[in-house]
Amino acid sequence: MHEDVIAALPPLPQPPLPPVPSIRPPRPPQAVEYPFLFDGSAAEYFRIWIVNLALSILSLGLFSAWAKVRSERYFYGNTRLAGVPFEYLARPLPILKGRIIAVTLFAAYVIAGQYSIGLQLGLALLIAVLTPWLIVRGTAFRARYSSWRGLNFRFVPDYGEAYIRFLVLGIPLILTLGILYPWIKGKQKQFMVENHRFGGSWFRFLLRPGQFYPPYLIAWGVISAWMFLMSFLMIGIIMAGVAVGGESRGAPPAWLMLGLPILMYSGYFIVLAFLAAAIANLTYNHVELDGRRFRSTLKGRRLLWIYFSNTIAILASAGLLIPWAKVRLARYRAECLSVFAFDDFNGMRAERGAEVDATAAEVDGLFDIDIGL
Amino acid sequence: MNAFRAHYFDGQSSRLHEVEVRRLDGGRIRIVGVGVDREEAAATLRLTPRLARTLRTIELADGARLMASHDDRLDQWFPGHDRLQRLVDRFERHAQAVAASIVVCLVIGLATFVWGVPWLSDRIAAEVPKAVEASLGDQVLGQLDRYLGFDASKLDGTRQAELGGRFDRLVAGLSDATGYRVVFRNAEGVGPNALAVPGGIVVVTDQLVDLLGDDREFDAVVAHEIGHQQHRHALRQTLRSSFVLVIAALFTGDVSSASTIVVAVPTFLLQSHYSRGFEQEADRFAFDTLAAQRISPAWFASAMRRLDAHYDSDGDDDAGVAYLSSHPRSADRIAAAEASGATFIAAHPELLRETPGYDPCAAEGLCPDEDACADDACIDPDEAEEYEDEPAAADDGS
Repeated sequence: MHEDVIAALPPLPQPPLPPVPSIRPPRPPQAVEYPFLFDGSAAEYFRIWIVNLALSILSLGLFSAWAKVRSERYFYGNTRLAGVPFEYLARPLPILKGRIIAVTLFAAYVIAGQYSIGLQLGLALLIAVLTPWLIVRGTAFRARYSSWRGLNFRFVPDYGEAYIRFLVLGIPLILTLGILYPWIKGKQKQFMVENHRFGGSWFRFLLRPGQFYPPYLIAWGVISAWMFLMSFLMIGIIMAGVAVGGESRGAPPAWLMLGLPILMYSGYFIVLAFLAAAIANLTYNHVELDGRRFRSTLKGRRLLWIYFSNTIAILASAGLLIPWAKVRLARYRAECLSVFAFDDFNGMRAERGAEVDATAAEVDGLFDIDIGL
Repeated sequence: MNAFRAHYFDGQSSRLHEVEVRRLDGGRIRIVGVGVDREEAAATLRLTPRLARTLRTIELADGARLMASHDDRLDQWFPGHDRLQRLVDRFERHAQAVAASIVVCLVIGLATFVWGVPWLSDRIAAEVPKAVEASLGDQVLGQLDRYLGFDASKLDGTRQAELGGRFDRLVAGLSDATGYRVVFRNAEGVGPNALAVPGGIVVVTDQLVDLLGDDREFDAVVAHEIGHQQHRHALRQTLRSSFVLVIAALFTGDVSSASTIVVAVPTFLLQSHYSRGFEQEADRFAFDTLAAQRISPAWFASAMRRLDAHYDSDGDDDAGVAYLSSHPRSADRIAAAEASGATFIAAHPELLRETPGYDPCAAEGLCPDEDACADDACIDPDEAEEYEDEPAAADDGS
């Protein structure tokens, strides 16, 4: 069946077609695997990034909205599924408006922290109360301006449900000392997936929230063991120092004071990379769109290596390798994602969505509330 | 050639149509393919700005769209409204413009951190009311007790009052010193140290008082901390760090997932850069204040040497201790204090006897044993100032 798809694609001169989709029998019978393909290059994106950054700086940040649109368009436009790239349709001006509000809020938050903990707590509380709303608005904005094959994505806002899953469930979370965390994460993912539409079709989530427990339990176990080991080590060293020095005031050697936190933090970092991969796989592998299924095969080891080397590269290059870091992360993510479908994506229908303003998307981006699909 | 090939999506279904787009007379275009045949005025179509090798999209008024590889004819057929992005696109493809952008980013980035952040934070610091700064200081004081194990001083009351009196004398001449006070704290874990807490409080540890041999050394150390207060260094430093944090966080994002590290390293480097400037400023203030009290700035050098000697014998890893200490030791600072002391004595030769490590026997021949002066050790008082630069004298005095 996939040969028909390829035949339907006209021979455009420049962009290469994706490799011929391979048929994998064990998945839903007769389904064809369509891999995502990221075609961007670091050198090309570097030019876009640096020119737009320079213009943003010279315009005191005003151009940054245009910079964002160009950057998003580059990543969308170079991500293809079944040969057709995605499109980012947002316009710069609404984004600029959102950015101004977001920067003001963030500056207020930071400066408030310098003067009064009470004021900062008040602002943090305000932001917490606004968070579900911001998540919904931000996701809706991004979905509304994402398109593929001439059809738009849409996130159907359900504020009541958003407040339950992103705020109210925090109360039992605290009461149960965090044991409900994986279940709540599952509820949130479910909400994010099931309120998304592509054209006239709904996304469905085939996982019960309780099924998020295994990866979190493993991560918790490893982190606890690591912390236990580290504190054991630290106490041991301090005791040894006291015994040898015979003086309680003698500070432990400096390499130890710096080394132990670094060791502790890197353990945390490693577990987080593996957890991120596991959660992304678990989520994508249970998303369905009109009988089409996703498959995500991210590897914790690879993700860890990419995060680690990106960090080193960015530090060593005074930030100039940020574009390279972004491109290789996008390439790896696309490499690991594919869709199994029985059809050639030609029979899907549209549904009209409403305009969503950019403020929420920007405020979200700045406060680093990363939700993903 | 008056036609190009494109993908056509009608906006109602996901069906991909292979079409040919032809230009007709009178500014009209025709889109023809299997199941598609429509004619539109080119002016009603919107062409997205060019961006690297990504496909160009042409939006039709009813939501349908065409996608095609870039072709220079596209921009002639559909004159875009977006002049700005056209210009940006040209920059992105232009090697010199890219090179210029790199220079602009690096130079402005560096300038922002070296001058911009300090300038802006200092403007803001100047606007912060004293009361706010004082309440911030009280919080910091509480944190020292809680997290660094500071507790009530074990110095006896008369000693505290005596040193407090010296502090008040130093502060007396200052124009804006309301709320300045010295606080003594026992700090076993931290050792000899002095800190300037926002709002005018100078914290001196018992261990420092014990270490210093002469009260004029106490004056020197405390004058340095008062310098931090006068220039509001604690507040300015906090504001600077916050700005660095915000700027760095804006640029790194989710590419490394270790944004904490990516942000922390430059923040730490910049902090030590900023604090070096602050230390020098406080040192200069201390020299001037001491001189105004008719105390030689060389006492500052003497106090620094004692601290150095203490930390040198205490830890085996120098770099680490210097990092943890709030006063990174430095030969330069001692040298500056010595030089300032020499200038001071040149102006006040009568105070020569009040300099650290002054040896009346070697300098004036007033030795307990008369014979000691018989050999060349005796020196005329007029020439004595050049011996001020002899650092070894400081430690021999005890």
